[in-house]
Amino acid sequence: MPDPTDERPLPPYPPARHAMRLLDVEIERDTDGDLRGWLAARPEIDRPSGGPRLGAVAVFVDALGGFRSISAAAPDWAFTADLSIHLLPTGPVDELVADVLVLRRGRRTLVVEVDLATDDGRPAGAATLSFAVVARPEHLVDVQFDESPQRHPLSPLAPDEPRPVDYLADLGVVSPAPGIATVALTPEVSNTVGALHGGMHTALVDEAAASLGRSLLGPDAETVDVHLAFLELGRSGPLRAEATPVGPPSPDGDRLTVEVRLVDADGRLCSYATTEVVHR
Amino acid sequence: MTHVDRDDGENPRPRFDRLSPGVAAYLGMAVTEQTDGTGPLALLRGPFAAPAHVVGPDGLTPTGILAALIDSIGGMASGIAALPGWIVTTNLNVRRAPATLFGPDGRGPLQLDTEVLRRGRSAIVTRTSVTAEADGTPVATGWMTAAVLAPNGGPPDIPRPVRPVGFPPIDDPAFASDPTTFFALRDGRNPGEVALELLDRTRNPWGILHGGAMTVLADTAARSLVAGTPATQPTPDLAVADLNVHYLSPGRVGPVVAAARLVGARGPEHLVRVAVHDHGAGDRPLVVALATVRHRTGGAATVR
Repeated sequence: MPDPTDERPLPPYPPARHAMRLLDVEIERDTDGDLRGWLAARPEIDRPSGGPRLGAVAVFVDALGGFRSISAAAPDWAFTADLSIHLLPTGPVDELVADVLVLRRGRRTLVVEVDLATDDGRPAGAATLSFAVVARPEHLVDVQFDESPQRHPLSPLAPDEPRPVDYLADLGVVSPAPGIATVALTPEVSNTVGALHGGMHTALVDEAAASLGRSLLGPDAETVDVHLAFLELGRSGPLRAEATPVGPPSPDGDRLTVEVRLVDADGRLCSYATTEVVHR
Repeated sequence: MTHVDRDDGENPRPRFDRLSPGVAAYLGMAVTEQTDGTGPLALLRGPFAAPAHVVGPDGLTPTGILAALIDSIGGMASGIAALPGWIVTTNLNVRRAPATLFGPDGRGPLQLDTEVLRRGRSAIVTRTSVTAEADGTPVATGWMTAAVLAPNGGPPDIPRPVRPVGFPPIDDPAFASDPTTFFALRDGRNPGEVALELLDRTRNPWGILHGGAMTVLADTAARSLVAGTPATQPTPDLAVADLNVHYLSPGRVGPVVAAARLVGARGPEHLVRVAVHDHGAGDRPLVVALATVRHRTGGAATVR
């Protein structure tokens, strides 16, 4: 979510191939303000075991949680402080369904819970997000959201834009070595104030951890859990996520605990995460 | 560390001058500052002796106890960073190294090392690494977020650099008993449910239930659900590999009841959601936690 204290003018947002647009997301709001969202499980976001990979789910969940928190915080504003996501094995699915509920609305903090399921009703995971509540900044007073109750696309890709072959590759995420993932700070991965989009923090963490897992566990390693704390805005690129193992893999060789530090080009620690990587 | 109503206007005066022993005395972690005490941020080290009555016969420190230790040392590092304010923990997580969940590695005394990752005006984030004291084997890693507040009566007086607090000898046998007895846990109506009565020794200086008691509750409820056994029964073949806790409001009355629900399975692991309520306060929600429970033998386990 954007930093509400930043007063710089907003650029046109989101650009044609923004991280949000490359995902195929729809949302629906109920009369209480709670949200349901759908993420199409397209091949470009697949993980080795089937179903969307954690980085794509993170962009999806961060967006839904952000919308829900801002309406819950009104007339104030909210921005993401941290998120946790747990994925369960689903195998191939057509879409993920997310139900977003507010667990706690205090004067200074919000806690949001997200239940993830497959389109045929099987559990697909769970997420929780914390938000800091602040006075709505002057430059965001007039920001409007589509609050129509019926199911509708969220920031869809224009019809003349080709779908990506690989979601993270299309956004410029590369893994030059095991445990490392980098991305240039382009408008496609930025938020409204030009810093790295919150969901992209987790996507970079996902790729850094998964690449370490591929080198230590096997080629089908995938990130299944993350706890991530947002520490600073990533304002200078390229941004780099570096994963290190917390001890060796399990004796079965099927899982690994990893911690990941994401720094910007100025060396500032922008987020910190712990993850679990598994190989099936 | 300390959970007060930060959002509903309650800001009670803490009882830091109270010398009655509590959760900190039970855990017995002798926190020492690694920095010289002149700067605003403290690097802290906490050796945990892993006494047999706390960790059990196999020497494995339960994840709920690990989380309580992280809450204690992370809370102190956050509080120092917040001075002249003080803090409340809003959420924490701990993730264990898979190689030390079962088997001989990572047993016995531990060492916790805590650093401040971010010091903001309204929130502080700390990271804690947990290693085996004997050989430095990584055991777990965790981080927590604390909200900054201005406590009535000011913050506690913490001499810098931080040095271990000496606790006087404690006659109460509860302090030499297992966590189930110390935290006054009792079985709920079915596996996955566990209750706790608030006692003086499990309250923090604000007079409310210590955050570490909540993590022990969540850990216990999650394992009980997966084992299909009453909550106070041991579960030697299960361990919580990952615990994520969000504190929603303080526990004041009791009984405090934790109820676990299965979210799904992932090979030898179960993802469990635990909701903790203060039954005596109109079932006020206190905590929501997600726990990953891993089975020792590997392979797909089933909830009984």
